Amino acid sequence: MPDIIGWLSDPINWSGDQGIPARLIEHLQICLLAVGAATAIGLPVGLYVGHTGRHAGLAINLANIGRAVPSYALMVGILPIALTLAPTIGYDPDLGLTFLPLFLAMTLLAIPPILVATYAGLREVDRDLIEAGRGMGLTERQILGRLEVPLAVPVIIGGFRTSTLQVIATATIGAILSFGGLGRFIVDGLANRDDAMLFGGAVLVTVLALLVDGVLAVVQHVLTPRALRGKPAPRRPSDDDEDRIDPAMFGVRTADVST
Amino acid sequence: MRRLDMRMNRLFALVAAMVVVLAACSSSGTSPSPSAAASAAPSAAASEAASAAPSSAAPSEAAKAEVRIGSDNFYESKLMAELYAQALEHAGYPVTRQFGLGSRQTRAPVFTKGLVDLVPEYVGSGLGYYDKTLVTGDGEANKTALQAQYDKADNLATVLAIAPGQDQNAAVVRGDTATSLNLTKMSDLAAVQDKLKWGLPPDCDKNPLCKDALESYGIKYPPKVRKALAACDAPIAQALQNKAIDFAWLCSTQPAIAQFGFKVLDDDKKTQPAENLAPVVRNDYLAKVDKAAFSAVLDAVSAKMTTDELTKLGVMVGVDNKDIGDVAKQWLTDNGLLN
Repeated sequence: MPDIIGWLSDPINWSGDQGIPARLIEHLQICLLAVGAATAIGLPVGLYVGHTGRHAGLAINLANIGRAVPSYALMVGILPIALTLAPTIGYDPDLGLTFLPLFLAMTLLAIPPILVATYAGLREVDRDLIEAGRGMGLTERQILGRLEVPLAVPVIIGGFRTSTLQVIATATIGAILSFGGLGRFIVDGLANRDDAMLFGGAVLVTVLALLVDGVLAVVQHVLTPRALRGKPAPRRPSDDDEDRIDPAMFGVRTADVST
Repeated sequence: MRRLDMRMNRLFALVAAMVVVLAACSSSGTSPSPSAAASAAPSAAASEAASAAPSSAAPSEAAKAEVRIGSDNFYESKLMAELYAQALEHAGYPVTRQFGLGSRQTRAPVFTKGLVDLVPEYVGSGLGYYDKTLVTGDGEANKTALQAQYDKADNLATVLAIAPGQDQNAAVVRGDTATSLNLTKMSDLAAVQDKLKWGLPPDCDKNPLCKDALESYGIKYPPKVRKALAACDAPIAQALQNKAIDFAWLCSTQPAIAQFGFKVLDDDKKTQPAENLAPVVRNDYLAKVDKAAFSAVLDAVSAKMTTDELTKLGVMVGVDNKDIGDVAKQWLTDNGLLN
């Protein structure tokens, strides 16, 4: 059994530009950027296909490529492109080695859960409710903003949580291409046969992922409309877009509808 | 009742699905690698032809016992194993190919337990597997020391003659860097170390072949700018080519060196272990055959295998994606080993 606690409590490992805090910041930076970029792409596309129902199959299948291809293969496959791209767009070749391949691979990994959850969240909104909104003269934009999105928020944030969790855990592979982050401990631990460092790094990544997920769970709860609270929010979007809205939110007792 | 039927149906579906998955797994687990399968067919035919026409009739057919040849799971090891295989087939030995047995960590036990009879080995790393401190810059010395290790291990195996060719750790820079900074040997590096971005493996700090070797050339460790990249890998070569780094540890026969015109710096202080290739054969197999005749077949292959030849063959297999069986056959023919 490697001395993980000894490694984690050694002050040397908590100082300097190769210490745990520095690596933690690098790790959070890349995760934040990747999930941010994935949200900027996945959320609007998810809202569009979810609201209109158009091109849904295409968008979701396209996004799922990011899930199907192993992130490591994606990153190493992107490397030659990123290496030539970086100087072409005026950056140091360094960027094409350490940052770009990992960033792009993590973004592609983060898009599908967000896109699919947004789509599924919107499709789960009761069709009758949307028709009622149209009948009341709401514009499409208002239907999206006032009806669909608020009702879909728990599901959308669920996708966001899945996405963040995956990226935090997977961004460790960046260390293979000399990126920093917490993966450094795992890759260096493996290379140096330093099991305490290897498992210590793995513990750090796990703890970070759980902490961030906990914070997002609170955010999810706060942003969920009051009427939808009190039941566990779905973590993963389901494929069927049947009516899942709780009638209780409209003041209807369950007993009234289920008979 | 209906519930039960549904349950049964689901159970059947589950069992059926598991059977399909298991079948898929087991078939992929036991089937040989495509290259091995592809090369096995023509050479099996060749061995039949050879045994049908026993022209080199000296030892009896009984003395040519079947030999199981293994290799590591990368092109150069497979290529060497295929060269041995075709040469032995030509000499009338039936061959079974069991290539791609993983890295040395997994392949060595397979050999020790007697599941294969013959493997290609790098004498430096092969010796390092037993004792890192014994490894030297001299190929013959490494071979002798490796033989001593096998002798100690219940007289397990014999290391046959080493080839002049070796796949060694190589300090490499781009052609343009070598020209502009006038670099030809590793001793030239210390003076320009701050002008370079260093690609070093993640274990460099603790690896005497990396940190200690660099320090022996007067290079201050760690260098100002360094990137942690695994040696001999594709990413480190791509990073070097695209100027994300200026110095890389590669392997001396790595196709990227010829492909991108990299300059291998001479290890003028002989800090890196000699890694000549040699066939290693289990002694319990050698006892079944005429040892001198068997060794002669492989010695002839080793004698012609220089580092340049290894590099050329590596480009054919690794860059041009030619079939290992075809490349091996062509090389043996060109070198007069299939006459």
